[in-house]
Amino acid sequence: MNDLLSRVAVLLTTRFGVPKEEFGADVTLADLDLDSLSLVEFGLVAEKEFGVQIGEDEISPKDTVEDLVRLIADKGVAA
Amino acid sequence: MSASSRCDVAVTGLGLVTPAGIGVAASWDTILRAEPTAAADPALAGLPVDFSCRVPGFDADALLGRRTAWRTDRYTHLALVAGREAVADAGLDPASWDGARVGVVIGNALGGTATFERQHCVLRDEGAEMVSPMLIPMMGISMVAGYLAIAVSATGPNLVTVTACASGTTAIGTARELLRSGKCDIVLAGGTEASLTPLIASTFAKMGALSRRGHDPAAASRPFDAGRDGFVLAEGAGVLVLERPADARTRGARVRARITGYGASADAYHATAPDPAGTGVQRAIEMALADAGVQPDEVDHVNAHGTSTPLNDATEATVLRRMFGAGPAVTSVKGVTGHSLGGAGAIEAACTVLSVQHGVVPPTANLDCQDPEIELDVVARAPRAMPIQTAISNSFGFGGQNAVLVVSAA
Repeated sequence: MNDLLSRVAVLLTTRFGVPKEEFGADVTLADLDLDSLSLVEFGLVAEKEFGVQIGEDEISPKDTVEDLVRLIADKGVAA
Repeated sequence: MSASSRCDVAVTGLGLVTPAGIGVAASWDTILRAEPTAAADPALAGLPVDFSCRVPGFDADALLGRRTAWRTDRYTHLALVAGREAVADAGLDPASWDGARVGVVIGNALGGTATFERQHCVLRDEGAEMVSPMLIPMMGISMVAGYLAIAVSATGPNLVTVTACASGTTAIGTARELLRSGKCDIVLAGGTEASLTPLIASTFAKMGALSRRGHDPAAASRPFDAGRDGFVLAEGAGVLVLERPADARTRGARVRARITGYGASADAYHATAPDPAGTGVQRAIEMALADAGVQPDEVDHVNAHGTSTPLNDATEATVLRRMFGAGPAVTSVKGVTGHSLGGAGAIEAACTVLSVQHGVVPPTANLDCQDPEIELDVVARAPRAMPIQTAISNSFGFGGQNAVLVVSAA
C-alpha cells in the first residue's frame, strides 16, 4: 500500500500540482482541488501509469486519497 | 459635462507578458531599446517558417503554480500573469474589493490552439478514450476571461472579444462602455494569444502573411521598412485596469493615462486583405477622435498596427498621411515584439499609455530604410522624448475589423 500510495503521490504532485504538504491518505480529492473532470483526467494518466481503467463512477471528489489507492490496488496493481 | 469627460476612463494599472519580457518594466525596457525578439523556434523546426517571438523564460508552473497551470492553456497562462501584475500595479486587492462591480473583458483570436493540436494527436494516435476531458475548458476562447475572474474574484460582466488582430483593442473599447454605463466600477481589459504551434504557423505561412527572413530572424519584423516581407508570429498578453476617473481620484490611485476615445468599423471588402483605400480604417480613426472630442491636428503620436506586411503598412500609412499629414510621431512596437494577434492591441495600448505617461515614443526596430511610399514621421533607432497630450493606437484584423483607441495624458 505504501509503495502504491507513493506512486499516486508522485502523480498527483507532479502532474496535477497538488502541494506535497497538503497530500495525505485521509485527505479528500476535493480538498486537493480535484473535481470530477480532473478525476477523469487522472483516469487517463493512471491508465498509462498503472495499466488499469478507472470508470467515471468508481471515484468521486468526496473520496479520499486512500480510497483512490485502494481502488487501484483492487484492480490488481501491487500495493 | 462635455462629451469627452463623460467618456473618459482612467488607466490605473498595467500588466505585460510579451516576447520583450515578463512584466511591464522588462517589456518596456526592451521595446525602448528597439531590440528585436524574433528567433529560431524549436517548436516550429522543419516548417517553412521556423522562427517566432516567444515570451522568454515563461515558466507557468513557477509563476502560477502547477495546480492552475496543468488545467489551463498557455494563452490563459499569459493573461493570468499579466492580469495579476495589472491589479497589483493599480494598488488594488481582490480580497477587499466588491467583485460584483469588477468586470473582465479579454481579447483573443484563436483560443487554446496548442491544447487543441495536442489532443487531436491523442485522438489520432491513441483513440477517443484517451482524449482529455479538459480540452474544452482549456481551449475554449471564452475560458481566459473565466479563469481570470476566478483568479481575482471578479464576478461582474465577463466576456472575450474576438475581432482577430484587433481583439485586444476591442476589449478595451468594450470595457470602457461597461464603465460608462455604470455596469462596472473596475474592468480588467486586455488581450492574449499563444498560438506558436505548427498548425497555426503553417497556415499563416501558406497565406503568405509571414516574413520568410529565416536566415536572419532578428531582422524579420521591420514595419514601414522598404525591405519588409511579412509579420513574425508572436505570443503575449497585456491587461489594463480601467476605472472612472472620479473613482480613481477618490481612492487616491495613480492614473497613468486616460482612454478618451474608441472607434470601430468594418472594411466589408475582403476576408484577409485590407481595403487599399483604407476607408474603413479612416472611419474607425475618425470615430475614435470624435468620441474623444479631439481634432486630427491634436494627435501627437500614433502607435500603429504596423505589422510589417507590405500591404498593411502601405494602407495604414496612406490613411495616416491623408488624415494627419506628417505630423504625429509614428511607431510600431511589432518590430520588437512581432505580432501577437489577439494580444497585440492590448500590448500596444499599454505601450501607448506608457508613451503618454513618460513622454517618450519607442523607436521602430529594424527601420533601416524607410519605404519611400510611407510618407510619415516614423521614429527609428532611438526613443524620442516629447510631450504627448493625445495619442492613438490602431489595430486592424482579418475580416476587415478595425479598432482604434485614443489615449490622453492624465
